[in-house]
Amino acid sequence: MRRTKRHQVPLRRAALKWPRRKRLSALSSLCLGAGVALAAPASSQPAADEDAPARVMSLNVCTDQLAMALAAPGQLISVSFLARDPAQSAMHEEAEAYPLNHGRAEEVFLARPDLVVTGTYSLHNTTELLRRMNVRVEEFSFVQTLETIPGEIRRMGALLGREHKARKLAAAFTAELSKIRAGQCARRPTALAYEQNGVALGAGTLADSVIEAAGFTNLAAQQGVQGMAPFSLEMVVEKKPDVIILPGGRNAAPSLGARVPRHPALEALPQTRIGAFVPSGSWSCGSPAVLEAIRALDALRNEIAPCGGSR
Amino acid sequence: MKPLTLITGLLLGVMALFLASLAVGPAELSLSESVYGLFAGGGETAAIIMREIRLPRALLGVCIGFTLGISGAVLQGFLRNPLAEPGIIGVSAMAAFGAVTVFYSGLAGASLYALPAGALIGALVAVLVLMALAARNGSTLTLILAGVALSSLSGALTALVLNLSPNPFASYEIIFWLLGSLKDRSMQHVWLALPLMAAGWLLIALSSRAIDALSLGEEAAASLGTNMARTRFLIVGGVALCVGAATAVSGTIGFIGLVVPHLIRPLTNRMPSRLLLPAGLGGAALLLAADVAVRIILPAGELNVGVLTALIGAPFFLWLVVRARREMF
Repeated sequence: MRRTKRHQVPLRRAALKWPRRKRLSALSSLCLGAGVALAAPASSQPAADEDAPARVMSLNVCTDQLAMALAAPGQLISVSFLARDPAQSAMHEEAEAYPLNHGRAEEVFLARPDLVVTGTYSLHNTTELLRRMNVRVEEFSFVQTLETIPGEIRRMGALLGREHKARKLAAAFTAELSKIRAGQCARRPTALAYEQNGVALGAGTLADSVIEAAGFTNLAAQQGVQGMAPFSLEMVVEKKPDVIILPGGRNAAPSLGARVPRHPALEALPQTRIGAFVPSGSWSCGSPAVLEAIRALDALRNEIAPCGGSR
Repeated sequence: MKPLTLITGLLLGVMALFLASLAVGPAELSLSESVYGLFAGGGETAAIIMREIRLPRALLGVCIGFTLGISGAVLQGFLRNPLAEPGIIGVSAMAAFGAVTVFYSGLAGASLYALPAGALIGALVAVLVLMALAARNGSTLTLILAGVALSSLSGALTALVLNLSPNPFASYEIIFWLLGSLKDRSMQHVWLALPLMAAGWLLIALSSRAIDALSLGEEAAASLGTNMARTRFLIVGGVALCVGAATAVSGTIGFIGLVVPHLIRPLTNRMPSRLLLPAGLGGAALLLAADVAVRIILPAGELNVGVLTALIGAPFFLWLVVRARREMF
């Protein structure tokens, strides 16, 4: 009983603010939304296409990628403002076609979407606020590896009522991944993903699984780095990785941290290849675009340590 | 203590700490490897680590420490104010604000030269404002309060500029600009800052005779034939040049300029001019020691060196304030 009461208050308040003729539909869609949200964990059966949310908003650059890849025409009403940033979004060109949002609760409330997809990491307060306003919010975790991506694609597909397309995309992703992995051998040069301020991407990150999938050994993970953590310049010089992967996407605005991975000490390493080898934005999110990152690194590995070559 | 003995002792201390700074770092190099790497080239790894990473850091530690020490000494002498110091009276903070404004706005591209250019302007504005205030109302309190206002204003503006930068990583650099660090600097930074700092030291040295006369008060000094306009120009220019250049590459490092002159003064004959060189050397020693300590205390994350100097300096500052009150009343 208490739960119903709590739900009624915001509903009534919301109804007062909206134009009269829309009240009824808004009320029914909110009830429907609440119903689906309640039913979802209980039944494993995917919703049929006709029950699919008609208006979906994505608040996070990574859910943007999955939603843009899967949504039916007109279903996705806006994507996050970062979706058009080439440094962070692999699908920045596609994002030009969508209106942008800045992930604010007010924006969401005014747009009245049937479903909001966002990340667990960012905008936590916004998510809580939206739930209190009875907006259906689905969160995607951003502790990702290559293994979690097919599952995330299928989950987004189920949420959008696009299971068929999602299954195809997930299967194609898995197939392409195993094809790349098949071309590798025991020779594994070391690579280090070295970000702003000398932060390395260690074990448990998406970059780590991409580096491994491309046939490299991730130096940071090998040295015991978990997640994103500082990795001193001296250690880089001492361990001499075969490849240092710099952050791609030329960010126009300068920062001092951007200079650290370009420190003269690294350029003095004679055998090390340094560059932004990964296409810009391709591995910032667990989406099918990471395949581009794997392909680029796999090609680089083939160049510096070909499998057929002698040791 | 005889001036020569004092300077020799301090020089030896600076040299020992300079070597300690070269010896400390995450890569475990043996003593022979380090020495060989530094001079003979030797094994690739040791040579690169010594020449490209540790040497610039140690050199900057010496030069920036010297700058802070000598500026503290000259400001305390010139303003006849025991609490004057580039950090406390807001010169460092204004320099950081200037550097941040020019660099992060992208006016000069991502060029490193933007940093000292902006920092010199910021430091110059701060010194001029403070001198104007000190000329009108010479009380210790006015100057310190104005400095506090200037520091907190420019600190807030620094944070604002960094938050407004379209680069999402820029806002993480607030901590660098407010607390200072010598981490991951390169020889580029040394060549950038050293000539400007040296020019500043020279201007300060040229003012040394005048500040001795000034210890008798401005009118007495003028009647002794001191050219006040020239002295003011030398000190304003010198402090702005060297503190600006130092802040441009290391962020604001506080309290060294405050603590060192007070520690060294009892060992001299208390003539302000005789304090300059020993205070510079003392500052170099203190900053090197603090920079070695931050690398030992937290090897992985590395504390900002300003945290450590504040831990030493702030209690000292309080003690000075309490003592000054006791003398006044």
